[in-house]
Amino acid sequence: MTDRRIGAFICGCGGNISDYVDIEKVRDEVEKEPGVVVARTAMFTCSDATQREIIDIIREQELDGIVVASCSPKLHLNTFRAMARRAGLNQYVYNQVNIREQCSWTHTHDMEHATDKAIRLIRAGIARTLMGHPLEMIRVKTIPRVLIIGAGISGLQAARLLSTMGIEVHLVESAPEVGGQVASWGPLFPSGRSGKELVQTLTSMIEKDDRIHIHTSSQVVEKTGNVGEFDISIQSSDGKRTSIKAGAIIVATGFQRYKPPQGEFGYGLPGVLTLDEFRDVLDNSDSGSIRYNGRDIKNISYIYCVGSRQGSNDEGSHSYCSRYCCTAAVHTALLAGEKQNPLHQYHLFRDMRTYGKQELLYEEALQKGSLFLKFPDEEPPSVKASNGHLEVALKDQLTGGEEINIGSDLVVLVTGMEARPNRELIDVLKLPVGKDGFFNEIHCKLRPVETVMDGILIAGSAQGPKNVHESTISSMAAVAKSAGLLMKGYVDLEPFVAVVDPDLCEWCDDCSNACPYDAIGKIEKGGKAIAQVTTAICKGCGTCVPACEKLAINVEGYTHKQITNMIDALAKEVV
Amino acid sequence: MQYDVLVIGGGIAGMESSLTLGDMGYKVLLVEKESSIGGKMVLLSKVFPTLDCASCIATPKMAAVANHENITILPYSQVDEIERKGNGHFLVHLHRKPTFIDAAACTGCGQCEVACTVAIPDQFNRNLIARRAAHIAFPQAVPKKAIIDHQGLSPCSYACPAGVKAHGYVSLVRAGKYEEAFNLHMEDAPLPGSLSRACYAPCEENCTRSELEGPVPIRGIKRFMVDRYYQRHPEPECGPPEKSSGRAVAVVGSGPAGLTAAYFLAQKGHSVEIFEAASRPGGMLRYGIPPYRLPKSIVDRDIKNVTALGVKIHTDCPMSSIPELKASGFDAVFLAMGTLKGYSANLPGENLEGVMDCMTFLKASATGYIDDLRGKKVMIIGGGNSAIDPARTALRLKAEKVSIYYRRSRAEMPAHDWEVQAALDEGVELHELKMPVRFVGSNGHLQAIECIDMELGLPDESGRRRPVPIDGSETSEPADLVILSIGLRPATSDFAGQLGLAPNERIVADPETLATSVEGVFAGGDVVTGPSMIIEAIAQGKRAAFYMDRFLTGKQLSGTVFDQRLPMVEPGEVIHRLGKNFSRRDASVLPQIPLDQRTTDGIELEVEGTMSEEDARYSASRCLDCGGCAECHECISACPADAIHFDMRPEDKDVDVGSVVLANGFELFDARNKAAYGYGRFPNVIDAMQMDRILAPTRPYNSVVRPSDGKAPSNIAFVLCTGSRDESVGNRLCSQICCMYSLKQAQLLMGALPLADITIYYIDIRAFGKGYDEFYEQAKGMGVYFVKGRIGRIEERDDQNLALFYEDMLNGDGVKQAEHDLVVLSVGLLPNQEMLALFKDQRLESEKIPFIHEIDSDLEPCKTSIEGVFVAGAASAARDIPDTIMHAGAAAAQTAAYLKKVRVS
Repeated sequence: MTDRRIGAFICGCGGNISDYVDIEKVRDEVEKEPGVVVARTAMFTCSDATQREIIDIIREQELDGIVVASCSPKLHLNTFRAMARRAGLNQYVYNQVNIREQCSWTHTHDMEHATDKAIRLIRAGIARTLMGHPLEMIRVKTIPRVLIIGAGISGLQAARLLSTMGIEVHLVESAPEVGGQVASWGPLFPSGRSGKELVQTLTSMIEKDDRIHIHTSSQVVEKTGNVGEFDISIQSSDGKRTSIKAGAIIVATGFQRYKPPQGEFGYGLPGVLTLDEFRDVLDNSDSGSIRYNGRDIKNISYIYCVGSRQGSNDEGSHSYCSRYCCTAAVHTALLAGEKQNPLHQYHLFRDMRTYGKQELLYEEALQKGSLFLKFPDEEPPSVKASNGHLEVALKDQLTGGEEINIGSDLVVLVTGMEARPNRELIDVLKLPVGKDGFFNEIHCKLRPVETVMDGILIAGSAQGPKNVHESTISSMAAVAKSAGLLMKGYVDLEPFVAVVDPDLCEWCDDCSNACPYDAIGKIEKGGKAIAQVTTAICKGCGTCVPACEKLAINVEGYTHKQITNMIDALAKEVV
Repeated sequence: MQYDVLVIGGGIAGMESSLTLGDMGYKVLLVEKESSIGGKMVLLSKVFPTLDCASCIATPKMAAVANHENITILPYSQVDEIERKGNGHFLVHLHRKPTFIDAAACTGCGQCEVACTVAIPDQFNRNLIARRAAHIAFPQAVPKKAIIDHQGLSPCSYACPAGVKAHGYVSLVRAGKYEEAFNLHMEDAPLPGSLSRACYAPCEENCTRSELEGPVPIRGIKRFMVDRYYQRHPEPECGPPEKSSGRAVAVVGSGPAGLTAAYFLAQKGHSVEIFEAASRPGGMLRYGIPPYRLPKSIVDRDIKNVTALGVKIHTDCPMSSIPELKASGFDAVFLAMGTLKGYSANLPGENLEGVMDCMTFLKASATGYIDDLRGKKVMIIGGGNSAIDPARTALRLKAEKVSIYYRRSRAEMPAHDWEVQAALDEGVELHELKMPVRFVGSNGHLQAIECIDMELGLPDESGRRRPVPIDGSETSEPADLVILSIGLRPATSDFAGQLGLAPNERIVADPETLATSVEGVFAGGDVVTGPSMIIEAIAQGKRAAFYMDRFLTGKQLSGTVFDQRLPMVEPGEVIHRLGKNFSRRDASVLPQIPLDQRTTDGIELEVEGTMSEEDARYSASRCLDCGGCAECHECISACPADAIHFDMRPEDKDVDVGSVVLANGFELFDARNKAAYGYGRFPNVIDAMQMDRILAPTRPYNSVVRPSDGKAPSNIAFVLCTGSRDESVGNRLCSQICCMYSLKQAQLLMGALPLADITIYYIDIRAFGKGYDEFYEQAKGMGVYFVKGRIGRIEERDDQNLALFYEDMLNGDGVKQAEHDLVVLSVGLLPNQEMLALFKDQRLESEKIPFIHEIDSDLEPCKTSIEGVFVAGAASAARDIPDTIMHAGAAAAQTAAYLKKVRVS
């Protein structure tokens, strides 16, 4: 028997759980478990009022452990830990059991067995709690310094703003100059200001700023440490290594332009250009005419979604929408129309995605005479050269599928963005990337600039296609998050790290060989050599645990005693 | 109070900015106009493209905000004005709206919600169902505190001079709580039986429903509830209060003012004695209002409510000496003798036998002194209500002929028109534009009346046209009885020299406290105001009791205000607010005995009857609940925490802040403004927020149903770009999120209704964000139909299915028609303009479609035209949730940078 006093709280999640799991039955069953002195159900355990009720129960019943059976701990672990703290408990005597993602949502067809499974899962949670003990977070002082990787528009903006907030910045750029791709761009929507001007403005602010240290022609080659105290090595093109300590890292490595393979929509033929190439032509044309290869341009066809929304999962093809290109093409057409009039412009599109206020540009292009033709997703237009001209053939869905041939002086391929090939950096930072190759945020709705690695943030188009305005916003959001970490002066890390039992350990080196983070070393203690774990480096991954034949190494929160007790509880029949 | 940052709006943007700034160590004040933070996101079902449950991911944010040490939430509050101070800070004037529930005491148990008798369209369920006036915003509310939705007093309750909560008892009758309704009335006025018969019911006159199909018959409802109560309780349920104050009060006069004062004073534990000159108590109730309108048994039962409290009534006991009363040990005196004397007409022959004033006649008929007027010609002079009562009484006493002579025309008669009509219907003759000039008689007996014809001249000071005699138009009519109904005055001559009297013989009393010139002596009712309605006399009695109690308990009379009722809600606003939720329901007619019986069965026979329970509840159900809460007080009894306080009033606050973040979000397009789509007219046309609610875990119904008949829809259409990309509704912008939320709803519907067909009518599918186009492909893969073409108009079929007219742009064939059984309008986002006029002396710039303008969106997003003021989220442009979160983060970073800069300099 046990003298523990555990409370079990079962959430109905407003029907998400209670529609498929008989939570009253669950409550009745888990109430019988050893150590459980109170078991309750609630419609929304996470609600403020229920939390307060639980706090009252914790105090009245003098509970020393609590289990909440609800959604994934990803959602509410911190919610209930905070609740435990408010009730005066150590937050690690709280355990969350996931009976939603791992039970109700997966067994919507079978209430009886879903209910049984929920009971077993909660029993295991109780078993873990019974064998657990209070733990303390590992507090790490944070260094008020941010390393920004990439000095494009996002990186420059982040650097400037962090500095204003009093935080030191190291800005690492692989190219010899800062500014990234925007530095070479002409007028931008909606301000009309050129990318060049924008970057110059930012650069001039940054160069005078002694809180910002710029490292051009440099790469990040090594990263150790953790949130609050990262150790980063950068290497310049001449091979010189510099070591930088920083509390947070912002990854703002940007995108690369989609480069069509030879022959895609006639790419490679004279007069078939990508959007960027055409922008260069425009920027270099005098007002009054657009000239290409010594010829005046009178007819332009734009083919949209080149390198975007390709549907297939073939290597190098992109199923995603590149977000910025529709507006960029329409904006370009307007600029071209200003350069030369008359100019016939044909837009071959699939869906016009000039979202939000950008709709006004689309409207303006329509008013100024651009023609829009819609080609079927499965039948893209073809481009061929004939008699020194380009012929674009398509089936226009807006005129009932009419076959149309457009004689064009130029064909502009509206190309999308793709992720930069960042293999080395990805390996150094250990950041996950999505199927599309862009860096993945931890939660696409509510935490769009944070990553699974605490203290490493993503900004701008490194996360996904964005225009300048959106990139700036996202980099400022990353600034806000890093400032939130650093301005306080410390961060608290989870205490789920490996611990060595000095009585059992007989140093054999197996654990330290198994550790992927070099967190385990050898020390002399009590006259014998034993293993020792550096807690700030240990990730609690548990790789060392099965390596030890003596069972001398445990991960806090997941000790052998806890796990075996959980297995017993899971295996016990529900009657 | 001082904060680093004021964040306006507790939606997802405001929460994100607050949390981020709070994490940086800044002190944040978060002001939210609703009673819970969470904004629109927490009301959603799931979110695209991951189909995460919106509640599940928003509630942790809400809890984190609520528990953050650096964030103070001010819910149910409104910022009124922000002014910049000399030091660069902002002075914020704001107010907390009264919730009528003490948040510190409220446990969020929801008992008040169960007890509340008022149902209001639930804005948190996009008006699909009702919530109560007392309510908790939604199950996941933060803070989880109940509030009472009480915009102001309903016009009926506001109109009552005595503060009787008409809306309250109507609402209780509607809920079938008849005894509670009676008891609520007794909190404010003790003579409900008399009022239910003879009150002129200003409540009904002010009923908002009057402007529609006729007022709620409030007096009739009261009569139902009183009759039912009196039938079940022939004796009052309450007795004298347990504790006596030891103070004694004399009340002179037992009319409504005197009885009311006695009632409230006795409740306070004072010993009260009433001195009545007549032989029965009741004053005007007994002698002034004829029994066919107010049976005396009802008056008797009403008076029992007063005497049950221990009040003694001495009848046949005229009292006119204040010193005598004081000598008898009374600590205070209330004079309420009313107006019993008629004014003289100053005409020759006025003293003839057969000429009398209306009070003399009414009292004589009420006491049986005059009980038969067979063969008599009766003439009544005057045009007020006091002319109608004698006329109709005379008819019932079988007079041969009853005529009213009035010197103006019927339109100018001060009597209520329905009363004049009732008199005419019963057989009274009305002679307009006639004025008596002399009464002719012989041997002291009246024989005839001589009148002169009048014509109407220019308006006089009362605004009515002045009657002018026409020379030479005199005529003579034979008459047996002339009743002068030309005004009443008080009989106060005995008090001359004891206290201050006005030239018109009325007692002079302070209009607020009703104190006379003699300390401890108060006066009220008609003796002070002149002739008035019963309910006005009751109001005076109640007011007197309030101040006399203060006097008796040694408190200052000044320093308080008796009547602290809330302001009234304007009927026009109510009708606007109800919009499409208002359904037409005709008024039921009060039962009345047939005309031919009225004058044959004596003066006791009541003309009006009591409505049936069914009628009473139907009539009460016509109430529009203008002010929200009815003040029925059921919540007070229900609340286990004693947290309900109806004396709460708006609370003004001034706050000093260093910077401001505007996170006031957006407005959804009101689909009624796209008339061709029939929203608001066709029940099966709903908007997307309603569909999101239908799909949410805290949904209003248990399954997906269509509103007209509750059937599961099998063929659902989504109409994209409703209110977006549409110059005809004044919004050319794309709303950025509607394609995606429609794709989401379509996918959720495919799960909820696996057999249903779902069609999305679109112009372009704008699935541009991370993972969005894949989500679009997923919807296509699930079998959602997509039709490229804008819906031109929607028509309703007989079975309430809907015909959609559109051009199929990809397949040609001109305008096509498709039938669906449920249509979801994917409404767009419009700017919320509440912030634009908030800043004193500084202009907050907005765009042409008035989203808040970011002055430099490339370099300085979130900065507005006012330094130190930043915008976060959809307040500056349509944004989906991730874009909003990032924008709110950027706003926090900009704010922090600004605060740093300001502090350094």
